Amino acid sequence: MGMIQATQIVNEERPIAGKTVSVSVVQRLRPPTRFQVALLGMQGLLQGMWLTLTYFWSPVEVVTREYPENRDSLKITERFRGNLRFKFPNEVAHQTHSALLEQIAQETQTHPEVAENWIRDEDDTRWYHNCTGCSKCEEACPNASIRILTRHGEILDDREIDRFVWRLDSCMFCNACVLACPWDAIEMTGGFENAVFDRRLLVYSLNRLAAPRINLIQDEQDPAVRARMIDWRSRYGGPIPLGGTGLPNLPAIGAPKVQECPVSHAGSTAVAP
Amino acid sequence: MSVQIRTLEEHLHASPQADSELTTQEYLVNMGPQHPIAHGSLRVVLRLDGENVKFVIPVPGYVHRGVEKMCEHLTYRQIIPYTDRLDYLSAIMNNWAVAKTVEKALGIETNARIETIRTIMSELQRLQSHALWWGVTGMDLGAYTAFLYGFREREIIGEIFEETIGARLTMNYIQPGGLMYDIQPDFAAKVKKLIPYLHGCIAQYETLLSGNTIFQERLRNIGVMDGAEALALGCTGPILRASGVPLDLRATEAYGVYDQVNFNVVVGAVGDSWDRYYVRLHEMRESLRIIEQLIDNVPEGDYATLRYNEELILPEGLHYGQTETARGAFGVFIDSDGKRPHPRRLHFRSPSFNNMWVVTRIAAGWRIADFIAIQSSLDLVIPDIDR
Repeated sequence: MGMIQATQIVNEERPIAGKTVSVSVVQRLRPPTRFQVALLGMQGLLQGMWLTLTYFWSPVEVVTREYPENRDSLKITERFRGNLRFKFPNEVAHQTHSALLEQIAQETQTHPEVAENWIRDEDDTRWYHNCTGCSKCEEACPNASIRILTRHGEILDDREIDRFVWRLDSCMFCNACVLACPWDAIEMTGGFENAVFDRRLLVYSLNRLAAPRINLIQDEQDPAVRARMIDWRSRYGGPIPLGGTGLPNLPAIGAPKVQECPVSHAGSTAVAP
Repeated sequence: MSVQIRTLEEHLHASPQADSELTTQEYLVNMGPQHPIAHGSLRVVLRLDGENVKFVIPVPGYVHRGVEKMCEHLTYRQIIPYTDRLDYLSAIMNNWAVAKTVEKALGIETNARIETIRTIMSELQRLQSHALWWGVTGMDLGAYTAFLYGFREREIIGEIFEETIGARLTMNYIQPGGLMYDIQPDFAAKVKKLIPYLHGCIAQYETLLSGNTIFQERLRNIGVMDGAEALALGCTGPILRASGVPLDLRATEAYGVYDQVNFNVVVGAVGDSWDRYYVRLHEMRESLRIIEQLIDNVPEGDYATLRYNEELILPEGLHYGQTETARGAFGVFIDSDGKRPHPRRLHFRSPSFNNMWVVTRIAAGWRIADFIAIQSSLDLVIPDIDR
């Protein structure tokens, strides 16, 4: 082992800050002679090489994960603080949901996340949510990644959620919003694959419906009135800067691309509303 | 002991004094902020005569984010996730420092279960931090294998964190008046399985690096610093203990349940880079000892004694609390006006900031390669310096 071994730790008592603490002193041996250096040096070198070599034929603890290949068997822990998401109490099983999204994504040739915009199921109850728009999460958020936009619901004559805007680009996944929510409306999922090509796609509206809380809708017996309580909200869009809206020289998401070269027509910049 | 302070500008204008017979010229060379030794982005200006380092002056500030100013607009619960981003390898101890200060100021009671879990988590975090540091030190000195081994242990501990906390790096786990989550039911079993495994890993570390003569020669008697100088520079943590001063807040302040467990404060005999290296390695064994004593009988109780949405307004005045992180004493200094739920002014006393200035005292006179060994043995975390 060369210069130091674990047995050369000496335990003693030493005073510090008015107390006596038990101390392990790392002892120092006499420096080795040149002959010892040569001998112990070879020994230590060979020991280290041997340890590395043993891993070739006995991979005892192979901890390498082949990430993109092992996606099917990847187990994300239940508490993993990934993407924020609305809880939908009536939601169908997640497997079915993602299969449906995949199917729509293939048909429309878009990303599954964007494909959620095309889901207009007859069974609207799936997207009923717990959120009341009370803004407790917005207050708890340390860096203003959440904005709650409320509207006045005409049927119930009360405030309700219009858009729950979550900015993934500034979120730090600290879980404060989930713990602060008195209505159990949001949760952190295990999703972590968030790469997109346009940073405007990182500003999400989490709610699918601008609607009052689920129990208030379900108390209403008349389906016609119930339908009037609900307005659909897309995943992107709304009055938040970069929330899917257009900017000067940047077309809105989904809008047709501007064909002219912006350099040659510097005076006529196309602005998508 | 007086410390001479010369600004970088004065060094630039100082006349080069060549002390060899050849006509040589001194150069000022920037090491960093992109150099691998900079561990992030610390710029170090070296005054070189050939390969001899005449003087070293660190230039921090490349990762400055103004966290202390931001915290003046945040509640105390919102400050805690920001402390994860200072010394990100000791996130739990940083969280604990804020939680401890707020609890002391408001007189919030915690129970034995909370304190025990906090202590276990802190020691796991210390193991994780030292494992990573060991690997990075190996890589700095040219042993790339060590880097992979160090990261292997770090990820295995990280999985235990992920199960209970939900994060691997930015924990945000310890809250004022409790914890964010209760531990998982199989937490104790997993940690108990980990302890013998980690003992084996530390034995592997000894075989791979400690027993290597080249590695020993590169650390032994390089950058010797005695205890008085370390105290004068305000060093804490393993750097101070390697110089022979047994100051460990876990033993002297005895927060958490550290007063109920037996562990030794590891100190060095000489104060050179080898001591700084080996003190940390043996601290890993002591951390495992602490976890062994606690993991079998975590007391029953609630994991939080406060509602999350409770408004915490500290009484007017100055409040200070500190914990022993993997790098030294992390202190939180809060000035509250007693009216708002935000601090009027907040200061983080970060260990790496004081430890960084050691290089100005002990690196002069060595070669560049020795300077790298010295800086590796300091275990700096740059976001902790710049804040």
